Amino acid sequence: MKTKGIMAALLAGAMTLTMTACGSSDSSSSATTTTTAAAAATSADNSDTATETTGADTTETTEDSLTPSGSSDALEVLIWDTNQQPGIQEILDEFTEKTGIKTDLQVKSWDSYWTLLEAAAQAGELPDVMWMHSNVSQMYMKNGLLLKLDDYIADSTEIDLSNYMSEITDLYTYDGSTYGIPKDYDTIALWYNKTMFDEAGLSYPDDTWTWDDLYENAKKLTKSDGSQYGFTLSPSNNQAGYYNVIYSMGGKVLSDDKKTSAYDDPTTIEAMELVGKIVADTCPDVTTMSETGDDVLFESGTVAMTTQGSWMVPAFKSNEYVAENCDVAVIPYAASTNTRASICNGLGWTASATSKRPDDCWKLLEWLGSKDMQLKQAELGVTMSAYLNTSDAWAQNTDLFNLQAYLDVTTEKTGDATNELILRPYTYKTTVWEDAANQAFVTAWTDTSQMESVCKSVAEEMNTAISQENS
Amino acid sequence: MMNKNDFAISGNHRRPGMTYWEKSQNLWGWLFIIPTMLGLVILNIWPMLQSFYQTFFRTGDFGRGNIYIGGQNYVQLFKDSEVWQALWNTLKLTLLQVPVSIALALVLAVFLNRKMRGRAVYRAIFFLPMIAAPAAVAMVWKWLYNSQFGLLNHLFHTKIEWISNPAIAWISIAVIGIWSSIGYNMVLFLAGLQDIPKEYYEAGAIDGATGPAAFFKITLPLLSPMIFFVLVTSVISGLQIFDSIYMIMSKSNPALPKTQTIVYLFYQYSFVNGNKGYGSTIVILLLVVIILITALQMKLQKKWVFYN
Repeated sequence: MKTKGIMAALLAGAMTLTMTACGSSDSSSSATTTTTAAAAATSADNSDTATETTGADTTETTEDSLTPSGSSDALEVLIWDTNQQPGIQEILDEFTEKTGIKTDLQVKSWDSYWTLLEAAAQAGELPDVMWMHSNVSQMYMKNGLLLKLDDYIADSTEIDLSNYMSEITDLYTYDGSTYGIPKDYDTIALWYNKTMFDEAGLSYPDDTWTWDDLYENAKKLTKSDGSQYGFTLSPSNNQAGYYNVIYSMGGKVLSDDKKTSAYDDPTTIEAMELVGKIVADTCPDVTTMSETGDDVLFESGTVAMTTQGSWMVPAFKSNEYVAENCDVAVIPYAASTNTRASICNGLGWTASATSKRPDDCWKLLEWLGSKDMQLKQAELGVTMSAYLNTSDAWAQNTDLFNLQAYLDVTTEKTGDATNELILRPYTYKTTVWEDAANQAFVTAWTDTSQMESVCKSVAEEMNTAISQENS
Repeated sequence: MMNKNDFAISGNHRRPGMTYWEKSQNLWGWLFIIPTMLGLVILNIWPMLQSFYQTFFRTGDFGRGNIYIGGQNYVQLFKDSEVWQALWNTLKLTLLQVPVSIALALVLAVFLNRKMRGRAVYRAIFFLPMIAAPAAVAMVWKWLYNSQFGLLNHLFHTKIEWISNPAIAWISIAVIGIWSSIGYNMVLFLAGLQDIPKEYYEAGAIDGATGPAAFFKITLPLLSPMIFFVLVTSVISGLQIFDSIYMIMSKSNPALPKTQTIVYLFYQYSFVNGNKGYGSTIVILLLVVIILITALQMKLQKKWVFYN
């Protein structure tokens, strides 16, 4: 009788603990960022986890999800944005045509991308070619996981790093060596619903708008019955949302040496108080925003305005409602500083240091970074390209929207305000403190009178997280 | 499906001087369980030991350069209110999900065990959730629950925040668990019901035990070993709820702190924050809780499980 109990308990233990080992290929590794119910279909294929009651052997479904489905001689290419998939695929197809090297493009959702990549890195099985992001690029480069490109670049006639935005090149440089070819860059602009503005008899946003104008107009566009809101800004929308308010008002998120948080900086708190005011008076409840993303609320005609990154253009372009009713304007500026700030970031194309075919990987990187393909990426409207002087091609990829709004902030002055491009704040392990901050701000969003104290506690939490980084 | 012998360790005391027959039996016995043993050791036991080992380290990037820190992770664990809240959330979910699921499955099984039209169809329908992928199930429920565009609010003309109101989000999550597990439990109960000899009911009927009386006096006691099995496995899997939270609750969901389960928290630490040492410590806590609860159930079964 006694042994029986112990055995059962041990079995229970085995069921619990094996999750540590198998969690890396988790249930949703193929979930997409698309926020429609249709996405359920794509996320359904490999989702067996230990929550099923069938016993201790549920872990057997953990096949390596990086194994390409096609032929084994294809280079694995991994990205996270379904919106960009068609354009990238086109560029890859052309590469195969030219060189005979096959590629196998796979898309994961943003969250599972990083989970998957970390597990793959640990197992020494990174995909041949992949996107890299400033959030963690330092960590990947420092640990020697990415292919060093210095020699390749020196021998290349196609790639000259001075042709790319230097801010983006810097993100993928470590200890003087280059590990990534700049892919794109992005800025933020203000999207608005023309129909709602017309209905309210308001004039559309333009370069004269300050954040206060945004607040006033958003308030007028908010209906008391909850059927329409002026603005939407979820607590997790930092890059396209409140970071821009903070930096335009002269605040900061991170100190210049990237060692301490700046959320306790009085100017930052002042900016967040303004954000709080906008959230409280013009946005849906935080509960609504947490269930339905800012972009979806905008696409469904629930909100009149939202700030969105340039990477959202393909999605908005293909959305009938947005194409018909909406347009985009330059991001508002801060009256107190007369500065307009847009957060800017850019991805890098990187290759695995352990790839069996480094030369082929380089050929692909070279292709992706070449002037022609960077121009093509812009023309297809995939994203703005990191290659200098290709932006105009991107702005003309559609005549549905005034995409120039995204480019205006890259110039010196728009209207009366000075423009500033701010690189997305990052440290060695950005995600850790960023997630913590996003979650903490939920409290401040629910009760905006607590904004100051939440900012201060976020600063503390962030400082602890940064001090624990291994950099 | 399960009877007393399944859990009992055969009392095969090795005596000196086995006969040839016994030796051969022994050899074949071991040969037959080797595949399972191998799987268990490689996939379960070894990772389990490794996880435990990791709890004493501050794990470096990509599992390299781990630093030994003794019991620090455990000290942090005991002071971490987030962990205890998550543990309470998990227990709460299990306490709601398991009894309701078992009760409903039992009632369904009894009804679907009778001769009736379309019995097979009904059985198949109730079992369907079981063959749907949990992530897909969660995705569909997520949109049913959506406060803005969800079908539920649309049907009832309500504006309830099913999954973002901290007071009710955990109930909504439990409903998904109940819905998904009813079919499986029902099938197990059906198997148990078919094992009960008809003679008992006939004898009972002669003594005047029909309907509810027969259910409580005959069905329940004779089904109790199966109920016990379902209870133990359901509680264990209930304590490991992860998918529905992961798929449904966004990180900025106000209800997340009051809903996130211990496995979700473990996932966050181990695989999102790359802090495998602390993640493993959290899962060790879950192991201890599961062992305690399971041991308690084993002890209590004497009071109510009836082996004939």
